[in-house]
Amino acid sequence: MKIALFIPCLVNQLLPQVAIATTELLEKLGHDVILPEGQTCCGQPMTNSGCFNEARSTVMKLLNAFKGVECDAIVCPAASCLVAAKENFHEYDNSPEAKAVIDKLYELTEFLHDVAPVDSFPRAFPHKVSLQLSCHGLRMLELANASESMKPGFNKMAALLEKVPGVEILYPEPRDECCGFGGTFAMDEGAVSAKMGNDKAQAHAKTGAEYIVGFDPSCLMHLDGLIRRHKLPIEIRHLAQILNDAI
Amino acid sequence: MSQAQTSVGHAEKADIFCKDEARVDWHSKALWLLRQKRDRAAAAIPEWEELRTLGSEIKLHTLTHLPQYLEQFEANCQKNGIIVHWAKDGQEHNRIVHEILSKHQVKKLVKSKSMLTEECHLNPYLESKGIEVIDTDLGERIIQLNKQPPSHIVVPAIHLKKEEVGELFHNKIGTEKGASDPTYLTRSARAHLREHFLTADAGMTGVNMAIAEDGAIVVCTNEGNADMGCNLPKLTLHSMGIDKLIPNNEAASVLLRTLARNAIGQLITTYSSFYHGPKPGGEMHVIIVDNGRSEMLKDKLLAESLKCIRCGGCMNTCPVYRRSGGYSYNYFIPGPIGIAVGSNQDDTNTIPWACTLCGSCTYVCPTKVPLHNIIAYQRRLKAEAGKLPYGKAGYMPMVGKVMSSPTLLNCAMSVARFSLRYLPGSLLKPFAGAWGKYRELPKAPASSFEAWYKKNRSK
Repeated sequence: MKIALFIPCLVNQLLPQVAIATTELLEKLGHDVILPEGQTCCGQPMTNSGCFNEARSTVMKLLNAFKGVECDAIVCPAASCLVAAKENFHEYDNSPEAKAVIDKLYELTEFLHDVAPVDSFPRAFPHKVSLQLSCHGLRMLELANASESMKPGFNKMAALLEKVPGVEILYPEPRDECCGFGGTFAMDEGAVSAKMGNDKAQAHAKTGAEYIVGFDPSCLMHLDGLIRRHKLPIEIRHLAQILNDAI
Repeated sequence: MSQAQTSVGHAEKADIFCKDEARVDWHSKALWLLRQKRDRAAAAIPEWEELRTLGSEIKLHTLTHLPQYLEQFEANCQKNGIIVHWAKDGQEHNRIVHEILSKHQVKKLVKSKSMLTEECHLNPYLESKGIEVIDTDLGERIIQLNKQPPSHIVVPAIHLKKEEVGELFHNKIGTEKGASDPTYLTRSARAHLREHFLTADAGMTGVNMAIAEDGAIVVCTNEGNADMGCNLPKLTLHSMGIDKLIPNNEAASVLLRTLARNAIGQLITTYSSFYHGPKPGGEMHVIIVDNGRSEMLKDKLLAESLKCIRCGGCMNTCPVYRRSGGYSYNYFIPGPIGIAVGSNQDDTNTIPWACTLCGSCTYVCPTKVPLHNIIAYQRRLKAEAGKLPYGKAGYMPMVGKVMSSPTLLNCAMSVARFSLRYLPGSLLKPFAGAWGKYRELPKAPASSFEAWYKKNRSK
């Protein structure tokens, strides 16, 4: 398939290794990958603060970067940014061109699980991983069944990792409580955000896993800051990095 | 612990609450235990998700046909000999209650749990008129003796440890000094409350559901205290918001299956009493209160918050509530539902931001109130009213400018990456605010992905 990458600002600027892994992974899987120019932030820092007027030009700039781009899918390795982009595109633009973009938007996990499924990954990753089920991917994209929901259980990230030989999947307790990042929440509500993050990082470390693996770079970056502050024996990895190494 | 003060923002109060980490852990764990019990109770019902859908539809249907159901309820109450009153706000509610009580020369009123009477500030009003009010729910009595408002809508004294309750009871009702055994304290409270039940002139309750078809009210408690208050005195009063209406008993049977399960993992409240009229020779009053609810009904999204049946499940699951405590919210109802219904009363304009928008509350809710959507919407309403907290009004327009200009964004981020790579942490931390106070700063890469792509993939 022809895939246009949607690389949100945070990934582009601070976590390029996640975007590089996404590019290489999709290419190894036989896809034709392009990076449309002129991308920026999804507008979430502003719209999540209620500032819709301030977000308009940023969101429209991002949307325009994808309008008319020839591709089968637009794939993003950041669940929360993807959700925000979808909602915000819809908020500011109801044109057929905008709808064509929105209809092609996929988060990486859902793309690899639902759209272009992968049978197996050849190379082993013989490590214990603790899964970070970040909220927006979990509840707004339904990448897994949230623990509150009594619907039949499923987990798209785990389903993908199970195809990598040698991976042992573990979960923190509680399994899918918010890590406390929450965008500007991390700054506005520093004490509660840090407490939530510390509880989460410790719960991951307690599983005995070597890596926290997730689909949301922003949550992982927040956890990384706390892991390094408290010198916990665990590291963060994006799902794309694990899968890219397994092929 | 001091009483909730007004006009201090959530973050500031939460910061104080978080200073005692052991207490935060204890508080969070106590409430998480309720969430776990709820999960087990919900999982035991194969049709749980259907019950949530039904609950949502029942409430939404009633709210969209509210005038006809309110009139039907009033007519059927009157047929049953119940006297119905209408109050447009809290003041009118309090005045009506006082008129009824003074007509009967009531000196002492026993009251069971009612968040509506908290909303109307009934207790201080009646006390100022010389009427003694005794809250009879154990948790409510504890905080009444401690001169505190509820910190949770279902377990109002959850913030107090048993040792603190023991000390309070020793000072107020004469239990043994140092005693903190819950059974001993509960028995002592029961003996203390029995005296009040027997000497009260009137009983008052909240209302969990009002059944239009029957002209009846449903009151749910675990301690039977509402029933003692209803069955002993001849005069009873029941206060309800207009949102408590449901069409019939079938609807009640759906909501009763989810209410206690979602609150604390209990199959049903020990006492789920349906009151259809006054006792022989007695008098029964129902006071129906609006107090801003009609206004909320005009907004399609805010109206959904009126589907709430006050189980408190959203508080138990909320990671922010559990780690900041009920008194950090500048509204008498804390947690997600408090933010949803109380943001316009919050003069600090901070409670809509006491949330990571994780959405767990929405999934827990037994009537599918889209809580996280309503909270996000409350932020938007604050922004539109020019009431942004935490300096957002100042920096958000700048964020908008930088993010929409690739030149500015790239320039700013290059400087940031350079600083993170080459400047010592000690120099950067003061500029990193709350991020650097609690976390290490991100390890900055040498270049952006865009630059890598241009170098490695340009055709």
